[in-house]
Amino acid sequence: MRLVISETIGARCIVAEDGQRLHDAVVGHLRDNEDVFLDFSEVRQFASPFFNFSIGQLLNDVSEVNLRKFLHLEGLNETGRIVVERVIANASKYQNNEDYRKIVDDILEQQAKGED
Amino acid sequence: MQNVLVPTLNDGQYDFLRLFQIWETVSTAPQGTRFDFSYCTFLRPSAVAFLGGLARLAQHHNYPVTFAWETISGAVMANLCQNGFASSFGHPSPGWNGNSIPFREDRVSATDPILDYLTDLWLGRGWVQVSPLLKDAIVGKVWEIYTNSFEHSASSVGVYSCGQYFQAMNQLALSVVDFGMGIPTKIRRYLQSDPRAANLLSSSCLEWAFQSGNTTSHQPGVARGLGLDLLKEFIRINQGSLEIYSNNAYAIVDRNGERFQDMNSGFAGTAVLIKLNCDETLYHFRGEFPNRGEAE
Repeated sequence: MRLVISETIGARCIVAEDGQRLHDAVVGHLRDNEDVFLDFSEVRQFASPFFNFSIGQLLNDVSEVNLRKFLHLEGLNETGRIVVERVIANASKYQNNEDYRKIVDDILEQQAKGED
Repeated sequence: MQNVLVPTLNDGQYDFLRLFQIWETVSTAPQGTRFDFSYCTFLRPSAVAFLGGLARLAQHHNYPVTFAWETISGAVMANLCQNGFASSFGHPSPGWNGNSIPFREDRVSATDPILDYLTDLWLGRGWVQVSPLLKDAIVGKVWEIYTNSFEHSASSVGVYSCGQYFQAMNQLALSVVDFGMGIPTKIRRYLQSDPRAANLLSSSCLEWAFQSGNTTSHQPGVARGLGLDLLKEFIRINQGSLEIYSNNAYAIVDRNGERFQDMNSGFAGTAVLIKLNCDETLYHFRGEFPNRGEAE
C-alpha cells in the first residue's frame, strides 16, 4: 500500500491522534508482511507524539527487522528521520508492565548520589 | 480587594521566587487582587506569561482581578500593549509588531494556532536567519513543551506563553507557564502505590522526568518520554538554555550540562523558559546523530 501523508494527515505530523490514525491504517498490512510506502515529502513539521503512536506502536505487532524491511518512509526530511529513529529506539526497549517499585528505587538511588 | 505590588521582574531564580510569593498571595485571596506596578521598571516575558496566567487562575476561582494601568510606567506599558497583554485584560490599546512576541493564552490544546504562533510570530519575523527546514525543526521541538503541559498538567486555566527577541544579545526567549499540578506532584501520584514515593525530592522527580523514555503516560503499548530529551539536545547544540520551575524544583540545561535543585518555595504548576541563540552557525544537527550529515 502507499499513502501520501500530506493528503491523509497534512503538512504537520505532530499529534498522537493523527499518529494513531496512521498506525491503524498500516498495521494490518505490516502484520501480513506487505510492503507499506509512506510518502512524507510535503510534510514540514514533526513531533514525537505523532511518531510514538504511528511508528513506535507498530513494534507491538511487528518485529523491528520486519518493520525496517516492509515499512518504507519516503521523502522524510532530516528532522523527521531523527525523531523516527529516536522513537524506534525508545519503543524497542519499552516494557509495558511498569514496575513502580523499581522506578522509586531508581529515583532514590539517583537522589542518594546527589547527596554524596 | 488587596493591593499587590508587582516589582521589576527579570527572569532569574530570584525573580521567579518573587512570582511564587505573588502567586501565594493572589491565589489565597477570595476578596480579589489589584495588581499595582508603581515600583516596576520592566517585566520579562516569563513574568508576563506568569502574571497573565495567575490573573486567569484567580478569575477561574471567582476572585476579582484588576490591573492598575495608571500605575504602570511608560516603557512597561508600551511593552504590555505591544505584546497584547493589556488588551487581553481589558485595556483599549491594541497590540503591534515590535520585538515582543505576543502574550498568548490557550485553554485547550489548539495545535495549529500554537504551531502558527511559533512558526510565524516567534521564529518567522526575520530575526532568526535559518532555513525553513530548521525553523520547522525548532517548532517541532518546542511544541513538545506544549504537549507536555496540556497532557500532564491538568491545568484548569490552560497554558500561557510570551516571548521576546533581545536584540543586544541576539537571543530569542519563550516562556510557557501552566497552573496545573506540577511535574514532581504528577510523578509522586504516578508512583503512589509505593509509600516511599511521597518522600521523593522534587528535584529528583524532575531529574527522572528529564531522562529519555521516562514518562507517567498511561497508554498501554505506546512508548513515550522523548519530548524533553529531544528539546534539551537541541538546546545543547544551540548553546541556548532551558529552565524549568515545577512545584519547588528547578532544572536548567545549558552548555554546562544539566542541574537540578530544590528551592525554598514554589507554586502549583510548571514554568518553562527557553532561550535560543539566533546564530545560524549554531543550528546544526551534526552531533545529535554522528553518523548522519548536517541538515543543510
